[in-house]
Amino acid sequence: MAIVDLTNVTYKYPLTDSPALQNINLQVNEGEFVAVIGPNGAGKSTLCYAIAGFVPHFFKGEITGTVEAAGIESSKSSLHEWVLNVGLAFQNPFNQISGAKYTVFEELAFGLENIGVPRDEMIARVEDAMKLTGISDLADRSPYSLSGGQQQRVALTSILVMQPKVLVLDEPTSQMDPIGTREVFGVIRTMAEKGMTVILAEHKVEWIAEFADRVIALHDGKILLEGKPQEALTSDLLLGKGFGVSRYTSVARKAKELGLWKKEKLPITLDEAVEGFARALTPGPFAKHPDGAPTGRGE
Amino acid sequence: MNSFSMYAARKSGLHNLHPLTKSTLALCLAIAGLVLPGNWTGYFLVLCIVFPLAFWGKIFTRFSRSLWNVSLPLAISLFLIQSIFWGESEILFTIGPIAFKEEGARFALINMGRILLVMSDFILFAMSTRPDTLMISLKQAGAPSGIAYIIVTTLQIIPRFQRKASTILDSQRSRGLETEGNILVRIRAFIPIILPLVIGSLIEVEERSIAIEARGFNSNKKETSLIEIPDTNTQSLLRRIFIIISMLGIIARIAWQLLI
Repeated sequence: MAIVDLTNVTYKYPLTDSPALQNINLQVNEGEFVAVIGPNGAGKSTLCYAIAGFVPHFFKGEITGTVEAAGIESSKSSLHEWVLNVGLAFQNPFNQISGAKYTVFEELAFGLENIGVPRDEMIARVEDAMKLTGISDLADRSPYSLSGGQQQRVALTSILVMQPKVLVLDEPTSQMDPIGTREVFGVIRTMAEKGMTVILAEHKVEWIAEFADRVIALHDGKILLEGKPQEALTSDLLLGKGFGVSRYTSVARKAKELGLWKKEKLPITLDEAVEGFARALTPGPFAKHPDGAPTGRGE
Repeated sequence: MNSFSMYAARKSGLHNLHPLTKSTLALCLAIAGLVLPGNWTGYFLVLCIVFPLAFWGKIFTRFSRSLWNVSLPLAISLFLIQSIFWGESEILFTIGPIAFKEEGARFALINMGRILLVMSDFILFAMSTRPDTLMISLKQAGAPSGIAYIIVTTLQIIPRFQRKASTILDSQRSRGLETEGNILVRIRAFIPIILPLVIGSLIEVEERSIAIEARGFNSNKKETSLIEIPDTNTQSLLRRIFIIISMLGIIARIAWQLLI
């Protein structure tokens, strides 16, 4: 059952002429991990804001169509009720720190204080969330003394701790190193497996390829295509429009032009690329059985 | 603690007092200094109440240094200006053509006592009270949470604002902006520094509002608090006494003014 449901959503920011979102139809199921890709200015952030209720409640502007989450319609709800179901973390971690707290622990408790969670439960929830995102050792640090990547983890944790049904993330790993990114994607994946619905706007396609259930490609405020990562991320429709493409896909596409890639599907991960090239380059059994999958990794 | 705050963390009885107890005491002292007669009242209260409290709070050295640094220049300028320009007769002494008059000096003395009391009072309070505990206790006492939030964030944002300004200054310099030299050069350098600072801050305000909204800031549920602020019946009684004394002081002063 769809927990997030956008029907014909078109939205214009105040004082602008062209819509930032056009005719968006999107259904996301409970526990699904959906990645939104698109070049800068494609409407990724606006889509995130629309799902998180900030469009139109915070930004005003004109919206048509309906946005529903957890069975409630956005236009019929108030923002402070909406955020209990849909959590949002965005790109710039610096501005996500409340500025009213002196330690990371207190910072994480800020949201729980606001929604009236009893103190004992608050402490337990903050401790659990810190363990989950691996920031327990930062508990007593000042949020302002942290690095960008650490602050992003704090920002993500500060929303996770509120246990929303739907988690909307707008480039939550932009300031992280590869190890940090992998860990955070792992955490997001775990949350999705526990039943939290995740909608993630992100440029890092190689991580999306590995972790997401579905990919939505946005271009000029419209959904250009959507599908499983394998199909969506390798689509020729993405070419020349400023979309990020996995280096594995790019290499294989080039190889295909030169006749060195024999499979029909292009790879999106390292394993798929290695497997495909192994098949193309190794003489012997692979050449005789072009449709077999020698490493056992089926399609 | 990375903050524009005078708070000095110590383990002391003064620090453990409820923030509202301290703030009502501070208010009561300040009013006493203003309404009580006598040339030396302010000094007397500072010496006999504020300094012992600072000692109790284990912040005596830091407190004294702060107070000295703030009040000395003020005291000197107050004395000079008042005794030179105020009063007709009763010349205390003269230096060259400048005459120092008694009436002005007395005025400076009384007012310095009052200023000293209010300042020492405030410094004592600020050094022994964590701003966030003040915010929490204000909210618990029924103040709107928006106002409490603004007070505390302002204290944290000022040093960040300073850092941001110096980052902008450095980056504009690295693009060849001249920032040193005569007054004209400095004025010209002002705009490319202040504009990014202001615009950047406006954007920051928008993002921060989204962030705190996303964390239920405007929730209509009754707020809870991670930090517990211990309170006692004695303190609650003390607070009432302080408020009553303050009010009586103000009333007495007004009545006295009206009668004379």
